[in-house]
Amino acid sequence: MPSASKVSLPDNLAIRIEDLSISYKINVESKKTLKNAIMRASKGERVRTRTVEAVKNLNLDIPHGSVVGIVGANGAGKSTLMRSIAGILPPTTGQITVNGRISTLLALGVGFNKALSGRDNIILGGLAAGMSKAEIESQTDSIAQFADLPEGFIDMPVRTYSNGMYSRVAFAVAVNMTPDILLLDEALSAGDAAFKEKSFNRMRELCEEARTILIVSHALSSINELCDHAIWMHKGKMLASGKPEDITEQYLKFLNVGELPSSYEDL
Amino acid sequence: MIEGANKIQVFEPHSSSLPPLRPYFKDFWRRREFATELSKFSDKAEYLESKLGKVWLVLNPLFLAVIYFLLVTIIQGGRGQGGGFTTLAHILIGLFTFYFAQNTILLGASSITSGGSLILNQAFPRALLPLSSAISAARQFFPTIPIYILIVVGGKLFLDDSTLPGLSANYLLLPILFVLLVITSFGLSLLFATMNVYFRDTTKLLSYIMRIWLYASPVLWQPDMLNGWYRVILYLNPLGPILSANSRIWMACCQPPPNLLAVYFGHSFHFY
Repeated sequence: MPSASKVSLPDNLAIRIEDLSISYKINVESKKTLKNAIMRASKGERVRTRTVEAVKNLNLDIPHGSVVGIVGANGAGKSTLMRSIAGILPPTTGQITVNGRISTLLALGVGFNKALSGRDNIILGGLAAGMSKAEIESQTDSIAQFADLPEGFIDMPVRTYSNGMYSRVAFAVAVNMTPDILLLDEALSAGDAAFKEKSFNRMRELCEEARTILIVSHALSSINELCDHAIWMHKGKMLASGKPEDITEQYLKFLNVGELPSSYEDL
Repeated sequence: MIEGANKIQVFEPHSSSLPPLRPYFKDFWRRREFATELSKFSDKAEYLESKLGKVWLVLNPLFLAVIYFLLVTIIQGGRGQGGGFTTLAHILIGLFTFYFAQNTILLGASSITSGGSLILNQAFPRALLPLSSAISAARQFFPTIPIYILIVVGGKLFLDDSTLPGLSANYLLLPILFVLLVITSFGLSLLFATMNVYFRDTTKLLSYIMRIWLYASPVLWQPDMLNGWYRVILYLNPLGPILSANSRIWMACCQPPPNLLAVYFGHSFHFY
């Protein structure tokens, strides 16, 4: 939860990350049950855990209106960083200061109930996102229009949707809530080519409105196309920060996969 | 997704088990609409496919009350109080009230672990999920009260049962008892929801605990049946004093004894 500390942030900054480290413990036991706990206690054993250092000593200033791409291999700490900026995971050390309302799309269809209609799920998704019912109801039609589902589908149960349709509704909810800061984690592949174009246009609109966007993606061409700044994370550390083209090139060299067109799609 | 009404938010280290309480409760209150609507939508989804829909909310406890009434009548060899109708009325109100507490605790206990994707991807006070379960339980409980009143009025009219009460000012105590019941049940649901995060078999064990709890509560038996040391069961049971007080008001329009209420106040705030 956001603290009530009185911290000032320069006007031009949307996010300030200071000396951020995030680590968490993973229970290495196969099953976390009461039975196992009692058995362990009777043998005088302690819980076996492993500490994962997901983000290490990260410092980053993100100005308002910038679109920042985050690249890195699996396990680099990208998603953990996004969750921490969204206030889901508390920092272990350091501090994150955020100036503005955050909207996240860290996973598709968060808070959705597949038995309910698309329209109900737009309301549910918006409420989960922190909007009031009145706020979300006033935008339901425009969100449904953005999702551009086939005729009548918006009032049908979501379990009858294809994966693409499901992703479109989830994406539409996130980008249509007029956030100050939008956090997207692997959400750029929602829908077909036409919907992707629509999503890119919407994100460009958000940038023009001086919204700040953070994108985690393995689709390097999207990072190059959309972002004006990129950072490369590896094993919890920020290895490089700069122009998207330079960062993706360095990242590709590191991965040793060459600059084939396919390399820019999904790594 | 959208977090915090304030523009500037600061995220600082805190124990993952205990966030700063003041901003937590502030956010909890601000986001209460999410819990209410989540409960409404969950109920809607649950009964969408059912022909009888939400009628099951009333039918379920009603059928159970009839089953328990038959069971108790058979065990007592047909010697129920007031021709058996008083026993039925006592079981009905006891069971309806107990089921509110049981639903709050059982639904709440699994709410955090079953909200996996929501928990991982949205920042919101986690206690909103057990709160949503408590609201669902209340939405199941309230329609049972008019049914109970209808049955009692029917009993008074057609069976001419003089042991059943009429109108009394003591009924005004019922909302207070209900608030205390909500506090106790919600507090217990938070406790079991936390336990379930660390020990995933808690909810399995809880279903047995709740059954024993029902038998140890004054639902299938009347509080006056306990003598001597057996009365300790009534006082140690976190739901015992309220079910007893509740039954006394509904069945006899009597004010609950102050010692019973004192124990119950203690239980409520202790469990919260």
